[in-house]
Amino acid sequence: MTSTTSRFRIPPSEMEMIQSLLGREPSLTEEAVFSAMWSEHCSYKSSRIHLRSFSALHPRVKAGPGENAGIVQVQDGISVAFKMESHNHPSFLEPFQGSATGVGGILRDVIAMGARPVALANSLVFGSLRHPRHRTLFQRVVEGIAGYGNPAGIPTIAGETWFDDRYQSNILVNVMAVGIVKDQSIMSAKASREGLLAIYIGNMTGRDGVSGAAMASRGFTRDGDDLRPQVQIADPYAGKNLMEATLEIARRGLADSIQDMGAAGLTSSSTEMAGRAGLGMELDVSLVPLRDPTMEPWEILLSESQERMLVLATPQNAETILEIASSWHLSSAVIGKTISDARFVVRKKDHTLASIPISHLTDNAPLYQRPSVPTNRTPNSEAAPSMAGAHSLSDLFHRMIDHPNGGDPRWIYRHFDFEVQTRTVLGPGHDSAVIDLKSPSGSGIAISIVSQPHACARDPYRGGALIVSKAVTELAAVGAFPLALTDCLNFGNPENPVVMGEFQEAIRGIAEASIAFDIPVVSGNVSLYNETDQTSIPPTPMIGVTGLLPALRNRISGHTKAPGLKLAIVGYMENMSLGGSYLDWILEGDVQEAVPSVPYEKIRGLSSFMMASSARGSVTATRAVGRGGIVRTLLMMVASAPSLGFYLDLPKSIEPLGFFFSESPGRIVLAYSAEEESRISEMAKEWNVTFLPLGYTAPGVWTIRFRNMEGNLKEWTENLGVIKSRFQRALSQFMEELP
Amino acid sequence: MKTPSKFHEQEISETGIIPPFKVGIVRFPGTNCDTDTFEAVESISGLEPVWLSYHQETIRDIDAVILPGGFSYGDYLRTGAMAAQTPVVSAIRKFADDGKPVMGICNGFQILVESKMLPGALLMNASRTFICEESPVVSQTSKTPFNTLLPEGTRISLPIAHQEGRYYLPEKELREIEASGQVIFRYVNNPNGSVHDIAGVSNRRGNVVGLMPHPERRVRDSSPSRDGLLLFESLLISLRNRFFHPD
Repeated sequence: MTSTTSRFRIPPSEMEMIQSLLGREPSLTEEAVFSAMWSEHCSYKSSRIHLRSFSALHPRVKAGPGENAGIVQVQDGISVAFKMESHNHPSFLEPFQGSATGVGGILRDVIAMGARPVALANSLVFGSLRHPRHRTLFQRVVEGIAGYGNPAGIPTIAGETWFDDRYQSNILVNVMAVGIVKDQSIMSAKASREGLLAIYIGNMTGRDGVSGAAMASRGFTRDGDDLRPQVQIADPYAGKNLMEATLEIARRGLADSIQDMGAAGLTSSSTEMAGRAGLGMELDVSLVPLRDPTMEPWEILLSESQERMLVLATPQNAETILEIASSWHLSSAVIGKTISDARFVVRKKDHTLASIPISHLTDNAPLYQRPSVPTNRTPNSEAAPSMAGAHSLSDLFHRMIDHPNGGDPRWIYRHFDFEVQTRTVLGPGHDSAVIDLKSPSGSGIAISIVSQPHACARDPYRGGALIVSKAVTELAAVGAFPLALTDCLNFGNPENPVVMGEFQEAIRGIAEASIAFDIPVVSGNVSLYNETDQTSIPPTPMIGVTGLLPALRNRISGHTKAPGLKLAIVGYMENMSLGGSYLDWILEGDVQEAVPSVPYEKIRGLSSFMMASSARGSVTATRAVGRGGIVRTLLMMVASAPSLGFYLDLPKSIEPLGFFFSESPGRIVLAYSAEEESRISEMAKEWNVTFLPLGYTAPGVWTIRFRNMEGNLKEWTENLGVIKSRFQRALSQFMEELP
Repeated sequence: MKTPSKFHEQEISETGIIPPFKVGIVRFPGTNCDTDTFEAVESISGLEPVWLSYHQETIRDIDAVILPGGFSYGDYLRTGAMAAQTPVVSAIRKFADDGKPVMGICNGFQILVESKMLPGALLMNASRTFICEESPVVSQTSKTPFNTLLPEGTRISLPIAHQEGRYYLPEKELREIEASGQVIFRYVNNPNGSVHDIAGVSNRRGNVVGLMPHPERRVRDSSPSRDGLLLFESLLISLRNRFFHPD
């Protein structure tokens, strides 16, 4: 064995760095510690430089990046904590456990801040459901999310899905958790001083998930099957008990600081908590509660067994914390302490197994400015003109709603308990989910989770800006304004300059839009190496944005069952580009138009208009124009009433493809009773947003009359029953036929 | 239905107002609808929720008991099976033997079935998946303490959220509970494959009831409906009736 060959797959160049930092060969235990802490997953070594363009500066922010989750204040004394995380690699290997532990992990990040989780959301990207393997994967991932969130008693209230063959070998499973915390219970993951005891609470440590962080920091190869032991096993029952114990410890002010044992388990939690304060940490692995007493020290350090927390506390409080743990049927033990010497010292009784300056694991970890090539996403002017116009509108629309990407998502969310905690005011199936804070102020928290894989693949910069503007528009549609943003950046291999270029561009778009909308980025996660056999996924950033609904009674539903309501569209109508739209994807990228840019000023105006309209109670139902454009958005609005359709008679000449199918940002469809029309159009003028009446909701009818640009009168009519049943069956027909 | 033997020794205070009736809400490790149920009871003026723990062996000064939904003991072994072996369930059995009202919701229903306080079994849904959706039910009787305000034929809309809610009973026993009026709620659109569309049953005496739908999720202003209130208000009415007419 040459000296730069690592037993833990550390690259030779980094092995040399380790030797020069230590001035000697690392011990086996030390090498294990480096392999975890220097992994992409823990160190963000390829991404950290670029993440600096995100801003968490905002008076509302109480905790930002670097903590277990971001925290923003929503009213006096009450804040929300939230974060989003990926569990892509494990979910592909073992979909049920992979997604369930993803949910468990993100919940513990929020719980470690002292916050009680009140909502879960997810964003799922899979290969086509034509492949039986992806049907099984999808089914098991949905069951895994339900299998953790439901028993834990946290409602899963929002989500989105995308099926696309570019993800056939690398699925994306991103989950978001939101919690509520009183100011006096907010915890930190930063130790305050030396002499604090490190208290382990939770399930016992086993061999599951050893080196999981390192696994998630590589691509897959054909012989990926041997990675299954690196997937962790979920225990939602213990997880719920751990949640109650941790929240009790936080509420009673017994802890100095808390961190979830997530990726790289005991190693990352203990070194990071001490490291943030410039302190050291001394652990004795012989004190760690073990499922298997024959585990090696390096296995104990790298295990990613689930449902574990590390609490730092003064010696006086230790006894009470251990009692609380045992009252919740959890294992617990004092396993070490913070020390003034800023080193990570691992002992097994009297034997010292590792002694590493913590800065070598954190600040001195490799930081790469990986080479990148600029992405060229300008439309190809040489390409043959689009054939989109050759299809009938009806034909194009049928293709959209027949595909699982355009169909009714109900099959998914009926697996999720979306009402436990009785806070759910708007659940799945609306633009944004809304939960009741249950505070005397009567306010609520809105949650929007957004990705636009096709637009981001076409233009990661504009796509990044689009997803932020989409979230802002979706929040506006229910009557909420944005509070803060969390992101999950799913990309391919960062050592590929094309991927690195996409990564930088997407970040530029998200950062630009979040600054333009004054939304702080308070937490996030980067998932790289989503590649198989050297093929990377397209750039797929996902974001979750929380919003504040000042008065719950002003919320606006995304559904209506009432015939005779007027329909209109408000917002920015100057750009009806089809670039990056669902139609563009259905036509396999045939539309040679640019992905639309974001009119920030106009969307801010639209938000203000919606806040005013919701406060005046003028509007019955709203939907942001989303996937598929206006017509599919209208279908979603009337989907819950079996015999309700609409009759549209457009007041001006239009270019039909763009008008009906563009997903350009900053437009909302409104339904309201006729007597409100003059008031709404007045308000639209006041806020300088374009207001265009479309028609009205009508029983049993699906008719759209319009004039095209040549001035010819056209009528597009569908059989309402057929449309609705195709929409309802598009996804479920694949899933209900599973053996 | 037999008249309860003896009622909790509640006294009218000097002001002439009846102090609130105490409703014990049972918490097992893994119960997750506990707070929702507590808040629902709390929202009824005249009822006062009180926590009961899985390890307590006696129940004192309590007028009714509710076992909320959730995943007691992680649903490990079989839903409700472990909770049915706890000290508090033995105490609830004695409490029920005295004719006092007991309701199990969802996992609480599963526990009452596992502890044989209610007939039947709750099997995996016919779809073999968890189902969370609105599922209207029709009351079949007004003769339990939780149906007082729900005359036979009253349709209310409640949500279900469960994976093991398919009510099952062999044909002969099924005929018996039908004949004795123990079926208390039936689904309008049977969501899970339950026999005879059964959503809730009672014991023979009528004081112990179990149902899969969640009434505690339909009590708030912001809920899609407030139909769930009717079950808790029924409890209040029946407790008051028994207070004034103990035998």
